[in-house]
Amino acid sequence: MIKHHPTSNVLSGFVAGDLPASVAIIVASHVELCRECANHVQQLTEQAAMQAFDMTADDDWLNDQVQLGDTSPQHINDIDHDGIDSNDMELACDSRAMIDAITASPAQVKSAVAQTVTEIEVAGQRISLPRAMKSIGLREWQGLGKLSRARLALDDDELRASLLHIDKGGSVPCHTHKGFEITLLLQGSFDDEMGHYTAGDFIWLDGDHTHQPITQEGCVCLTVSSDAIHFTQGMSQLLNPIGRFIY
Amino acid sequence: MQQTVSKGYPKRESNIIANNIETQVPPELSHWLDSVAMQRDKQAFTALFQFFAPKIRRFGIKQLGSEAQANELVQETMTNVWRKAHLYNVDKGAATTWVYTVMRNASFDMLRRIKAKNEQNLGDDIWPIDMAQDEAQSEESNFGDHLMEKQMLNYVNTLPPAQQAVVKGVYYQELSQEQLAQQLGVPIGTVKSRLRLALAKLKQQMGEQYND
Repeated sequence: MIKHHPTSNVLSGFVAGDLPASVAIIVASHVELCRECANHVQQLTEQAAMQAFDMTADDDWLNDQVQLGDTSPQHINDIDHDGIDSNDMELACDSRAMIDAITASPAQVKSAVAQTVTEIEVAGQRISLPRAMKSIGLREWQGLGKLSRARLALDDDELRASLLHIDKGGSVPCHTHKGFEITLLLQGSFDDEMGHYTAGDFIWLDGDHTHQPITQEGCVCLTVSSDAIHFTQGMSQLLNPIGRFIY
Repeated sequence: MQQTVSKGYPKRESNIIANNIETQVPPELSHWLDSVAMQRDKQAFTALFQFFAPKIRRFGIKQLGSEAQANELVQETMTNVWRKAHLYNVDKGAATTWVYTVMRNASFDMLRRIKAKNEQNLGDDIWPIDMAQDEAQSEESNFGDHLMEKQMLNYVNTLPPAQQAVVKGVYYQELSQEQLAQQLGVPIGTVKSRLRLALAKLKQQMGEQYND
């Protein structure tokens, strides 16, 4: 049972295409696992589509764009019902040329074979990766004690996306985040001070949170973080250089 | 062509409620998409183009910040509409929602190309446009039924009732053969032989299609 979800704001940004690629990928990966959020995204997409293609909202936007032709609402009615006037002739010619060019291209060939699910093997278990990751490569796994990590081969400014595996009984020392860290639990479970997390849970933490995830059964997560994590307690502070490793 | 388009336009009244999709979207849109998918219908595509292109251009100016980029977005989006119309499924949503998805994906990838000089297209992976392949409704692809559960059930339902009962008991209700024998009031040997016959028959039927 998934208990932790992206906020409505995050889902709206996702639908609008406004999130950075790695954040969009981790949100999409959650949505793929979560029917509730999938329904929400569907609704938000319908709304965004209505807004983008809304007939009633045309007026203000069009008036800003003089090159698009004369744009008073009355005038649009004229175009709709009486054909194209001279102002729009040029645009119409461009459109005609574009339509001709596009319709000269063939339909995409329907692939007869079903999309193969991308799987990886971690610690002897097969894990199917989110669809959103299917054309993104994984860099080599690097291990450190019970932690191992493989970066996604994704260029996204200062954001890093990784698969993180914590082996049975492993933990990440108590740490905070300078920036933000998003974790999507793909398999297994873990606990921290704030709760128990199971597959599908989407956890967004920022610098205000300190936590120490521990896993009994082991887990595999997709993570996106904006900055190195920072260890906060006793001896583990000696580990701060490895904060860069996990990030 | 203008006529065809205009008859589908809703009334331009501000009191049209934004969340009522039925009243705002010309019903022809999905027919046009279908005609493009099925018949490569250029007329239908032209109608779609005339409805969507100005709106996509406007969206593009807002998202990408220039007229040239906006025109490229129109080209990119409408090309994908032409080439991938068969992925639209009228039962799963409005045509506008699908075209929005195609447009947003193209815009997302363009923005990444502009900002990060990144040629990798991710939009369609993040926001799938393949409604046909989504979930259970896909009759054409095996993806929605990759464990062949539905297809298996079809085969099972062709078995004689006595064999059906045994197969369903063992594989769907996960009863033991002993439990099943008790429930059906037959000796366990009968359950075993019915199961054996049923599986042989299923194997034969499936072998006709999946000969490997």
